[in-house]
Amino acid sequence: MNKNASRFLAGPYIIWMIGFTVIPLIMIILYCLTDGDGAFTLANVAAIATPEHRKALFLSLGLSLVSTLICLVMAYPLALILRKRNVGQGSFIVFIFILPMWMNFLLRTMAWQTLLEKNGVINGILSALHLPNLAIINTPWAIILGMVYNFLPFMVLPIYNVLIKIDDDVINAAQDLGASTAQTITKILIPLSLPGIISGINMVFVPALTTFVISNLLGGSKILLIGNVIEQEFTKGSNWHLGSGLSLVLMFFILVSMALMAKYDKEGEGTAF
Amino acid sequence: MNDSKLKRFFQDFYLVFVLIFLYAPILTMMVLSFNSSKSRTDWGGFTLDWYRQMFQSSSIMDALYNTLLIAFISALAATILGTVAAIGINQMKRLPRSIAMGVNNIPMLNSEIVTGISLMLAFLAFGISLGFKTILLSHITFCVPYVILSVMPKLKQTSRYTYEAAMDLGAGPVEAFFKVVLPDIMPGVLSGFLLAFTMSLDDFIITHFTRGAGINTLSTLIYSEVRRGIKPSMYALSTIIFLTVLALLLITNFSPEKSPASGEKEKAGRSRRETARRILLVAASFCVIAAVSFTTYSHYAAARSNELYVYNWGEYIDETVIEDFEKETGIHVIYDLFETNEEMYPVIEAGGVAYDAVCPSDYMIQKMIENDLLAEINFDNIPNISQIDPEYMERSRSFDPENRYSVPYTWGTVGILYNDKLVEKLGAEPPDSWMDLWDEKFSGEILMQDSVRDAFMCALKGLGYSLNSTDPDELNQAKDLLIRQKPLIQAYVIDQVRDKMLGGEAAVGVIYSGEMLYLQELAEGKDFNLEYVIPKEGTNLWIDSWVIPKNAKNKENAEKWIDFLCRPDIAKRNFEYITYATPNRGAFEMLDEELQQNKAVFPDWDSLTNAEVYRYLGDEADSIYNELWKEVKSN
Amino acid sequence: MEHPLIDLVNISKTFDNTMVLDDLCLSVKENTFVTLLGPSGCGKTTPLRIIGGFEKPDTGKVIFDGQDITNLPPNKRQLNTVFQKYALFTHMTIAENIAFGLKIKNKPKAYIDDKIKYALKLVNLDGFENRSVASLSGGQQQRIAIARAIVNEPRVLLLDEPLGALDLKLRQDMQYELIRLKNELGITFIYVTHDQEEALTMSDTIVVMNQGYIQQMGSPEQIYNEPENAFVADFIGESNIVPGTMIRDELVEIFGARFACVDKGFGVNRPVDVVIRPEDIDLVEPEKGTLTGVCTHLIFKGVHYEMEVTTPDGFEWLVHSTDMCPVGKQVGIHVDPFDIQIMNKPESEDEEAVGVNE
Repeated sequence: MNKNASRFLAGPYIIWMIGFTVIPLIMIILYCLTDGDGAFTLANVAAIATPEHRKALFLSLGLSLVSTLICLVMAYPLALILRKRNVGQGSFIVFIFILPMWMNFLLRTMAWQTLLEKNGVINGILSALHLPNLAIINTPWAIILGMVYNFLPFMVLPIYNVLIKIDDDVINAAQDLGASTAQTITKILIPLSLPGIISGINMVFVPALTTFVISNLLGGSKILLIGNVIEQEFTKGSNWHLGSGLSLVLMFFILVSMALMAKYDKEGEGTAF
Repeated sequence: MNDSKLKRFFQDFYLVFVLIFLYAPILTMMVLSFNSSKSRTDWGGFTLDWYRQMFQSSSIMDALYNTLLIAFISALAATILGTVAAIGINQMKRLPRSIAMGVNNIPMLNSEIVTGISLMLAFLAFGISLGFKTILLSHITFCVPYVILSVMPKLKQTSRYTYEAAMDLGAGPVEAFFKVVLPDIMPGVLSGFLLAFTMSLDDFIITHFTRGAGINTLSTLIYSEVRRGIKPSMYALSTIIFLTVLALLLITNFSPEKSPASGEKEKAGRSRRETARRILLVAASFCVIAAVSFTTYSHYAAARSNELYVYNWGEYIDETVIEDFEKETGIHVIYDLFETNEEMYPVIEAGGVAYDAVCPSDYMIQKMIENDLLAEINFDNIPNISQIDPEYMERSRSFDPENRYSVPYTWGTVGILYNDKLVEKLGAEPPDSWMDLWDEKFSGEILMQDSVRDAFMCALKGLGYSLNSTDPDELNQAKDLLIRQKPLIQAYVIDQVRDKMLGGEAAVGVIYSGEMLYLQELAEGKDFNLEYVIPKEGTNLWIDSWVIPKNAKNKENAEKWIDFLCRPDIAKRNFEYITYATPNRGAFEMLDEELQQNKAVFPDWDSLTNAEVYRYLGDEADSIYNELWKEVKSN
Repeated sequence: MEHPLIDLVNISKTFDNTMVLDDLCLSVKENTFVTLLGPSGCGKTTPLRIIGGFEKPDTGKVIFDGQDITNLPPNKRQLNTVFQKYALFTHMTIAENIAFGLKIKNKPKAYIDDKIKYALKLVNLDGFENRSVASLSGGQQQRIAIARAIVNEPRVLLLDEPLGALDLKLRQDMQYELIRLKNELGITFIYVTHDQEEALTMSDTIVVMNQGYIQQMGSPEQIYNEPENAFVADFIGESNIVPGTMIRDELVEIFGARFACVDKGFGVNRPVDVVIRPEDIDLVEPEKGTLTGVCTHLIFKGVHYEMEVTTPDGFEWLVHSTDMCPVGKQVGIHVDPFDIQIMNKPESEDEEAVGVNE
């Protein structure tokens, strides 16, 4: 391919990116650095320090960290098992995880309400079995559950994709050299799948940190996350400047995770799909 | 041997556990789609009604059409744009390549909320009015990175020599690309397309921020229904979509017989499967295009010039009324929903969409009048105004002093709904005061309204202050009270009070009187009663009225619309559907006597002595309320 | 009788309904270089993986030094494997790779460092300790894989087509390296390859396998010179396999001509297969030959000429000789009696594949 000429094939998309990715981000920064009258201010960023915003941010950070951790702990063994069962049906496994996405995300999350409610399906089953009832709806635990449920595939797929690229013989070699199953996992598989893990953490942590839908649906609107604050500033409070300021603070965390990702995943192998 | 069997058992067990976790909600939804009871919490027997209703509901079908059309166009555009871009980026030198890939990753890694907001700000800044095209542009923007990500690895695998070999054998560059390179990277392109399609289909947040009026995708339609209680026909639709996709997947994955280990056969099997998959994909796209063009045709077959943009609360009209109006007048109605006054206001203020008729509440109408957002109604065009009971016109003066801007549509009170059995079980007295919502006995059993004014109303009234108080001291007391109440609360909800109370989830809830008729009907046959009480400290008397925004483009149509809704027979039909009290005297007189006597729906005026109508308190007070509310919520 | 170090007893293994090994028996003596040789897909790798512990046989036992290790996991076995694609740990340096097995066994650091130095010296890669795996060529990676295995002082080293991915020159170099290593270390090598030249060069014992059965087992000379069936004859080097009739002991008839040979015990007037290596055919004057034919093909191969001689019955004899015979010339074919190898004709497809015992 004529290198010089075909390079310009990227042109249309680069223009597109400037128009629809870069300029919108500049707009957020503009809004963030001005007040209602258009004067320069840093108050919108500083607003993160007010008690209610700080609380919402820390709560979001806490909940998303916990759910990311749970996702990781759930996803890694799963990816290992799937890797083992991979023989000739890799794409099918991927579909199993993408398939739920065809059922609307809001409906899926709503359905958890039905499952978790005091008189819901799960408690119905538990009662029938004479087991104590589950009372996590409208608590932070329900939000964590919603996050884990919605974002688990984004943890499983990148890890799985890195794991299946590891040659069976590398694992055999480790065992051959005397490593037990546990040692093989900790010394070989986890270090080798680190790009997938990092990318998975990113793909779970970022949406979990910024969600407002899950906390609304499963938290009974009692729990205010930073995503809810921003959403309300834009749709209800109508202080777009403040909303932009808080968004920018979120961007900071996203940038940190992007930087982490770039450091560990230079080859870009840790991708979900 | 035993050891490995045990291991395998645990693995199977874990796989099944995860699958149950992933698919339990989906199964729940499928079951609900056959539930003849409208409530999420009750099983009322098997029915296919929701499937029938789904096909008849124009709002669902429109949303489906929009969703598929947007997903298809944006996936297609993103695939073309992304594939071409991937080839270009692949040829770049190191530095520009990593910059391009970095920017490319932004929409994927950035949180959807920031992407959505940034796009919305940019669209508005450049004067692009929000609507179908802005959703489309946004979807393309976040879909392209997925396409690039799936094409890139295939491009790297593809040897550049195949391209050169094709040129060597006499193919031109374009021919060589289409005949050699493209088939090689086709699997990546296809999976990129599918991924983009899926992502677009499932997106809510970005659509939420970039959509305009009158256009709903399934996601936004569902979100607007969430608070009200999702219609089971939505479950029906999702079930159909899910099963269709599942069937497609099963066919493509399992149709050719599992080939034995022999390499040759396996390859043949795989390529056959690949072919089957391609054929299916083509078939599926064809179906989508066919459906799209058919719907587009039928859409445009209706006259497009004569339009009316209506902005109303969710489930606040009998849909057949809209159809009748369209039939009678030949005006095409574009119908759009909002959930709260606070959400509606900025939309009207920004003017991204020009609505012709809007149905806000009292205090918001006052705010709109004061901010010069409303047009005066020409009452000559609304002869049926005479049907509205003068009492309500009088009451409306508190927010529309000269009755020039609004026509009452519904009215009601806010009160406490309680479950008599549960209250008894908790050892409490039936509530008759707002302060009963602070009773420790009701811990975890209280459903509070999730809107600023209503929540503060409970506290202010409970303290004996006016619900229109702007006194900082009073407001702070109310705030402290609300913070104290928070641990007792099960959830802040809006319309879900209804479903939750019906399901016996909570003992007491703050609710609009309009829900009562419906509730009492459904609670029949249950082992508890749901009672409505207006607390003794007084309450909010609210009126929702039709207004016409100043920037309306079809003011006369809007007046026809309002007049139509004031016709007694229409108002009665509407009332029977939405069950919110009607101010229409003609309609009221047509009702059964039993209904007319229902004090929960039509309370006596003298029982409302302490009732107040919300007033707009000014921007400053508004933001104080918002700040205090945020403090309550984040506590 | 010396005690065998490894004994595979009646091993069978099936993958996806395909029989890969059927009732295989194999003994390996201590301190020998044993090669499993066969075409790809012949089931030669499976015994190696069963010895290594990566596969479990469906039936049969693996005996190691008198102990049944059939169900012992790989990490508990006193043997190490060098894998086909090296299977180095890309997230570790060379030194870390080599130290891996020793660290698992909690050896002292000084011991490990010594071992790394020693192993790197042994594979001629001194000073590579801190290099990354990616910076090494294929041959270098191969040596590291060997170094990583041998630092654990295994009693047996299993090598699964370790030279398969290397180019010709490097392969030859590595063959000599392996022989040297085996002699220096004094341990048992079990080597899998499909390359007959490699097998002939390095092995003490070659096991020729096909379709899950052992075809022949013996020293390289035995395998080459006295193939026991047509498969072995055909697979090891080039050969002319012609149908013949055993007239009586030490006399065989081929295409109507009678050749003296050294084989006995095939009975009288029995149809047999006759194997004659191309370099064992002498082209002589037509009248001096046992058979006559016309030279129909000639290629110069460097070391020798390759010719085809077609006899009147239509058979094309492959002949290697340093003497040239021009195309079209009438020649006689002569074979010395001890260069003729007689084999029983298989009675069925199945029998062709059945293992022949030592």
